Amino acid sequence: MSAPLPQPDPTIATGPTSDQQVAQPRAVRTLPFWANPRFGLLIVIAVLVVVFSSLRSSFLNVDLTIVPMQADLSVFLVVGLAQLAVLSLGHMNLAVPRMAAISAFVMGWCYQHLSVPLWPGLLIGLAVGATVGAAAGWIITTTRVNSFVVTLALDFALVGLVSLLYSGVGDGVAFNVHPAGMDSLRTDTFSDYCMGNLCGPPVPLIVPIAVLAAIVVGLLFRVSRVGREILMTGSNLRAAELSGIPTSRRIIQAHALSGLLSALAGFLLAINSGAFSADIGSSFMLPSFLGPVLGGTLLSGGAVSVLGTVLGAALTEVIRTGLNLLQFSVQQLNIYIGVVLVVALSLDRVRQVVAERRGSRS
Amino acid sequence: MTATTSSTATAGTARRRRFQEVVRTSEFTLVLVAVAGFVVLAATTHGNLLHGATLTAVFQYLAVPILVGLAQMVVLGVGQMNLSVGVLTGFCSMVAAWLMVQAGLPAWLAIIAGMLTGAAVGLVNGVVAVVTRINGFIVTLASMTIIDGLRYGVHGTATYQGYSHGLVSLGQGSTLGVPNAFLAAVVVAALVAVFFRRAALGRQLLATGGNPLSARLSGISNDRSIVLAHMLSGLLAGVAGVVEVALSGSVNASIGDDLLLPSFAAPIIGGVALAGGVVSVVGTCLAALIVRLVDVAQAQYSIDPSWVNLIVGAVVLGAVLLTQIRVRQRGSRR
Repeated sequence: MSAPLPQPDPTIATGPTSDQQVAQPRAVRTLPFWANPRFGLLIVIAVLVVVFSSLRSSFLNVDLTIVPMQADLSVFLVVGLAQLAVLSLGHMNLAVPRMAAISAFVMGWCYQHLSVPLWPGLLIGLAVGATVGAAAGWIITTTRVNSFVVTLALDFALVGLVSLLYSGVGDGVAFNVHPAGMDSLRTDTFSDYCMGNLCGPPVPLIVPIAVLAAIVVGLLFRVSRVGREILMTGSNLRAAELSGIPTSRRIIQAHALSGLLSALAGFLLAINSGAFSADIGSSFMLPSFLGPVLGGTLLSGGAVSVLGTVLGAALTEVIRTGLNLLQFSVQQLNIYIGVVLVVALSLDRVRQVVAERRGSRS
Repeated sequence: MTATTSSTATAGTARRRRFQEVVRTSEFTLVLVAVAGFVVLAATTHGNLLHGATLTAVFQYLAVPILVGLAQMVVLGVGQMNLSVGVLTGFCSMVAAWLMVQAGLPAWLAIIAGMLTGAAVGLVNGVVAVVTRINGFIVTLASMTIIDGLRYGVHGTATYQGYSHGLVSLGQGSTLGVPNAFLAAVVVAALVAVFFRRAALGRQLLATGGNPLSARLSGISNDRSIVLAHMLSGLLAGVAGVVEVALSGSVNASIGDDLLLPSFAAPIIGGVALAGGVVSVVGTCLAALIVRLVDVAQAQYSIDPSWVNLIVGAVVLGAVLLTQIRVRQRGSRR
């Protein structure tokens, strides 16, 4: 095993250049800009914002709508990123909801019983999430079982474990502890902090956390070696293995990242809702797929779009808020969000087919 | 190797080999686990499990898990999944109950309509998956969300009850000591087994699931297989919904909330690969029984219901590991 090791290194070094060579012939018939799913999403969001704000003027109300929307969006963005981390491999993580729940439990427990300050507690929670994720990745690589089954079974197990933990170790169904800083993180926006006459924009304090997460994940997959190797593992496991990428380690790392981001999402939701409770994460399953998939991330792996995930999450949040203002019930909301998912993806497909036809004709 | 042994094999070694083959199947392991679990349960509850009423309840409430597991198994067979199985079951029972209570249809008509509703939703799932080429997982994730909403659209959160007494007494009754609901599930399971073993369409589904390319080269329409599998899955979910209506005597929109995970657990524990091309009706039914026994144990020992999920999750993981180890051993032996 040690003998062939020096060989792969040059392959990796030439990776980017060979990538460009592959991209060259494709560049001749690149798809027009309107075939880009991100562009379509942006237009749909803009149209919906216009429609909703003309139907209900309160849609543009800063305190009632814009600020809560940003807070929710931060949570769903991070949830989407958690799924995106494993979609990069062509894997799925159905345990995103419960990884968030178990990390939220640990964080709540640390705040309550060990009186850990807010930020160190978050770090502990992130570590728990990453560990659970890494364990899922480890099971997947050692057994070579489909990630769907492994994370589904893990989800089963964690559902039971979390409620057992809350009823046994915790105090019923929630920790009602509020560590210092949690409340200001929940309710304050930057406009509450002024320097002289200059106040910040009406952006909740938790938004930068989500934005930072998106930037870090984006940079990871764009520039870092680990991220590129995860993507290569996702697009062709065999080829990645042959070019010397430690694929098992990359798979475990991607799943650990997914667990870590799930934990972060759990933390953000706990901040938003004001308590570390047992039902944190239970609503994460659909949003975790909505953001990345609407944004053009494939389930087959090998390619991710962080910007698309941001837009996909934003679209769902706009629909959710808009229909809420129009006084649709939660159930009706579900119907429309499901329809939007199908329609958006079908249109995507149509657009792609049309674009490809035009491209081949010209 | 096989040629020389088979030529020199006596009838005795052939029989022993056949016996060994049977012992090595995952179905045999499942039978052992189920029997062992049953005996342990019966012994530790001082025979409580063997009392008429308890025993009837064990098998009565096995019907829906079996049907839902089969509904998932059919789509797993072509290499797809159906996340809408659970909510579709609930939706079909709501539709059937609505037809009887609100529209005043006779019970048999409502039952057929309930099953057809399932088949129709499955058909839509399959057509959307084939036409748009969107991953079946995402299509059914979307339809799960939509049906979840529709389910509450039928009658809000209210409960339907007092519909057709004949149907309910049929659903809760027994024939020759066997609960009718369980009997219905077994008949359906047998039909599904015959379909996959004997019918050309069933074989084509498995061919598509096993290797789409070679299936297409041998003249099988993969698109048709996928649509058919989704429709069958929906139909089975519809049957499960109707059985639920007959069995419980009152239904509301929360039916199906807790069926999605068991629907995957049964076929996966039963040895159905997620890759497609393999189905095991017997395995799925046995696995549903094992999951049911975990449920019964929870009720008998009156332990925290959360343990059920924890144990079932562990069993699914364990079953998956075991299958993998077995496959690897078989691979290395060759």
